[in-house]
Amino acid sequence: MVIARRDTRQRTVLILVLVSSLALVTLDSRGSGLIDTIRDAARDVIAPVQSAVDTVFSPVSDAVNGVTNYSAVKDENERLKNQVAHLKGRIRRQRAAGADVSDLEKLVDLPRVEDATGVVARVIGGAPGNFEKTVQLDRGSGAGLEAGQPVVAADGLVGKITDASHSRATVTLIDNPGFGVGVRLENTNTRGIAEGRSGESTLRLSFLSDLTVRPKKGELLFTSASDDAVFPPDIPVAKVVHYDKQPGDIEPHITLAPLVNLDDLQFVKVLRWSEAKSSKRGNS
Amino acid sequence: MLLRRIRLVLVVVTLVVVQTTIFPSLRVFGAIPDLCLVATVAMAYEEGPQAGLVFGFASGLAIDLFLSSPAGLSALAFAATGYGVGVFQSGLMRESRSIRPILGFVGGLVGGTIFVIVGAIVGESGYLSLHSVQVVIVAALYDALVSYAIFPFVRWAAHEPGAGIAWGGR
Repeated sequence: MVIARRDTRQRTVLILVLVSSLALVTLDSRGSGLIDTIRDAARDVIAPVQSAVDTVFSPVSDAVNGVTNYSAVKDENERLKNQVAHLKGRIRRQRAAGADVSDLEKLVDLPRVEDATGVVARVIGGAPGNFEKTVQLDRGSGAGLEAGQPVVAADGLVGKITDASHSRATVTLIDNPGFGVGVRLENTNTRGIAEGRSGESTLRLSFLSDLTVRPKKGELLFTSASDDAVFPPDIPVAKVVHYDKQPGDIEPHITLAPLVNLDDLQFVKVLRWSEAKSSKRGNS
Repeated sequence: MLLRRIRLVLVVVTLVVVQTTIFPSLRVFGAIPDLCLVATVAMAYEEGPQAGLVFGFASGLAIDLFLSSPAGLSALAFAATGYGVGVFQSGLMRESRSIRPILGFVGGLVGGTIFVIVGAIVGESGYLSLHSVQVVIVAALYDALVSYAIFPFVRWAAHEPGAGIAWGGR
């Protein structure tokens, strides 16, 4: 009798817990303000503890990374030296053309990335889970950060803010599965969507506006301009690393490598792009 | 009873802080362990299915607050795993120490699989892929490794001299 009662109670608790979990999943998937508030509060409460632990353990993890990645760092250093030399030459070549483009943009009064003010933030941690590509910033809504703002690094686009509590913000990286960025190819201005893929650090270029175009290896992709775009136009995003189109394929398989090393982010800049767009529209 | 609950809350808070601060930079083949999932398995092993169920729900919900996936997903996966391990453990030899990493591994596999399947059903991108299988297996192996540290920690927190079971019976 006692065992039967205990089993019934156990089954009731099991059903209650499973139903509660599923209800939470459904609520949060549809966007619940209450859950977001609790989430932000929890992150703010634990933020000082995380900062303290991070201060203590970051030299240890830096040392571990330094030892395990020594060879990769050496190779990257060599590659970057070559890249700097190459880019210096390229900047010189583009300077003349760049001045003309800048004058034209001023004439038509389009919002540009230079119009957006930014907040520099430090990356304090990676994703705490196995199925997301995110980083945590040491600044939040208290510093003016809010969901939807684009995030860039010196080399190009990093991602966008997807959650911001008072003192912390989460950035979803461009190689996160399901993340899409409207881009244009450097040489042909062909538009497409660069998408993150599961388990890959590369992106895939799809939904091309011109399916006959064949991009060159190394060709750059920039964020494309559109009226309701989340990202400012002309931010470097990625470069073409592989092209393949078999007979019968509707669309070519184009693989892109992000220009920013997303595994080693130290500082990023969060752009107040929506404010810049609004003020530009207000002026015109 | 109150002291025991405080200790269990301390376990969850500590593991959440460690999970969100230290382990993101200690990835192995792109995977990190689920510390709260291992703690749930330990709780179920020590205290039975109902304790595993409730502890799994609470600790899963705590880590959900720091993930981008929908809140409740880890809670569901951890609770189901805790209950399953609790039911399974009643037939085990209690003295065997080698069972801990095995339970950590199995719990990691079960919890990870539930997380991925339910996540895919609710529309999370890229959850149903070959890469997810690889991540679940590597994370489960990592879970087995960290179980050596987490099982004693949970045992210390759950232990209440001369008292019954507070989080539910077996």
